Amino acid sequence: MLTLTVNGQSRQVDVPDEMPLLWVLRDHLNLVGTKYGCGIAQCGVCTVHVGGKPVRSCQLTVGDVGTRAVVTIEGIGSTPNGAKVQQAWLEAAVPQCGYCQAGQIMSATALLDANPQPDDADIDAAMAGNLCRCGTYIRIRRAIKNAAAKSA
Amino acid sequence: MKRAIGILVLVLAVVAFGFAGWLFLARDPMSFAGGSTVALADYHGTAMTGVPTQLASADLVKRGEYLTHAADCQACHTVPGGAPFAGGFAFNMPFGTIYSTNITPDKKTGIGNYTDAQFLAAVHKGIRADGLKLYPAMPYASYSLMTDADALAIKAYLFTLAPVNAPPRPDQLSWPFNQRSLITLWNVAFNPDERFRPNTGQSPQWNRGAYLAEAMGHCGECHTPRNLAYGLDNHGKFSGALTAGWRAYNITSDKASGIGDWSDTDLLAYLSTGHANGHGGAAGPMGDAADDSLSYLLPDDTRALMAYLRSIPAHAGDLPRTVTSAAPSSYKQGAVAGANSRGEKIFAGACASCHDWSGVSPVTGFATLTGVRAVNDPSATNVAQTVIHGVNRKTAEGTIFMPAFGEGYSDDDIAAVANYVTARFGAKGAHLAAKDVAALREQAAQQLKEAPNG
Repeated sequence: MLTLTVNGQSRQVDVPDEMPLLWVLRDHLNLVGTKYGCGIAQCGVCTVHVGGKPVRSCQLTVGDVGTRAVVTIEGIGSTPNGAKVQQAWLEAAVPQCGYCQAGQIMSATALLDANPQPDDADIDAAMAGNLCRCGTYIRIRRAIKNAAAKSA
Repeated sequence: MKRAIGILVLVLAVVAFGFAGWLFLARDPMSFAGGSTVALADYHGTAMTGVPTQLASADLVKRGEYLTHAADCQACHTVPGGAPFAGGFAFNMPFGTIYSTNITPDKKTGIGNYTDAQFLAAVHKGIRADGLKLYPAMPYASYSLMTDADALAIKAYLFTLAPVNAPPRPDQLSWPFNQRSLITLWNVAFNPDERFRPNTGQSPQWNRGAYLAEAMGHCGECHTPRNLAYGLDNHGKFSGALTAGWRAYNITSDKASGIGDWSDTDLLAYLSTGHANGHGGAAGPMGDAADDSLSYLLPDDTRALMAYLRSIPAHAGDLPRTVTSAAPSSYKQGAVAGANSRGEKIFAGACASCHDWSGVSPVTGFATLTGVRAVNDPSATNVAQTVIHGVNRKTAEGTIFMPAFGEGYSDDDIAAVANYVTARFGAKGAHLAAKDVAALREQAAQQLKEAPNG
């Protein structure tokens, strides 16, 4: 039995150590906001925060989470930057099909946590691993800048 | 005048003789240890051949299985993804390509008809049942140290495998390398065809380690540089070499470029799992060696191997001392991109999510780049190969996985990202160009490329 801290709550799961965190979140904790995309850490759709860092949950085994706190798209709105990013996402009408947006929002929030006023290059460096097949990158960038402006 | 010519001839003869002697001295992989050796039959200490005591009472096939792993027959006699031991693995060399053979007991295409004597001739002398000479890609110059009993235990195990019908693939060698008769000369020079002789000045553990490293694991076949005639040059024993497009690193006791600085814990972890935190993991051929061979050794054997490795004389290599501190967590600090922005862009999109800008992975210790030899190698050979081929290893410690980027990224892209990675996380940035990456792909290629639309 493993104990995880997910979105501020202590959760117990009876799963093998080598199970990817994404499986645990979706199939055992019913937190299905985090999506499965490529399965090889190349699309960013499964991004969650682990110990405050954006991590691809399809490649992180639950045994490697340790005591680090996990925050998913279901919990990010309770953090100051997460709330601002979600609000900016709505205002800019970022998503098109929406499949990637949970991962985009998690990466964008982690960016603002580390760097409250990112410029274009900072956004590129932090967000390049989050693919959007609808091509909403312009709106993603705008929303991040709007969220940053609210932080100021 | 005549006298002058005579002197010149004499001098040349002495030089040639001396050079031959120098080469000759280099062919014994254990000569560095000095002391005196005895024939196995005359040695009255603990047994250092065969299987560990835990397996001593196991049946022949079980013992043979252990020894087959120890000798790592599988890595070369298996095509990636193919039937184990069915052969067809390509050795790409500057003068052409040869393929490993089917050593399943298939009577038509494998070794099903081999007698014990024929099997021993192949293992010790590199002579096939039909009399043809094997190329020394088959490490018979190392296996010649193996006892008859151990070789025949391996045969007994191989003969329990399901026969696979896999005809040999024809060699593609240019003249004169396609003349197998020339191998006779090579054998005279480089294969003494002598069984392992214990060193009475060394401990039983050292001798066991020597047997495992030399007769079975044939570490030197990749880790020892070769001379012009493709024989192992043991003057630089275990000091590293380029094999099949991958760099086999210096594993001498040199502190800067070898493993002299590694703790016992790290070395044992690496030898038994192919990964040690802070040193990175094995990929490519060494990943296979870990998964097919080293990980099967019982702990006492792993320790013996370590004891032997620790005794290898230090040989300073050309690799800079490994950087053991993490890179800054922002892409703007540390080795910044500048003219190399293509490498940085690729890193941001494809690599940073697992490897982090600091090189310390938030995902798994397997993906941490800090302290890894490959990223501290200014040739970036293994970085480029790992990017091309990825890593997909199942170990006792879990799966070690990295996607293969070779099909999706161009040679230019791979060169750019390898140069960026070595500059950011290693001691010195590489300067690979697209053509270097193309050459590395070629050397490591395991399958012939399909013809377009073919």
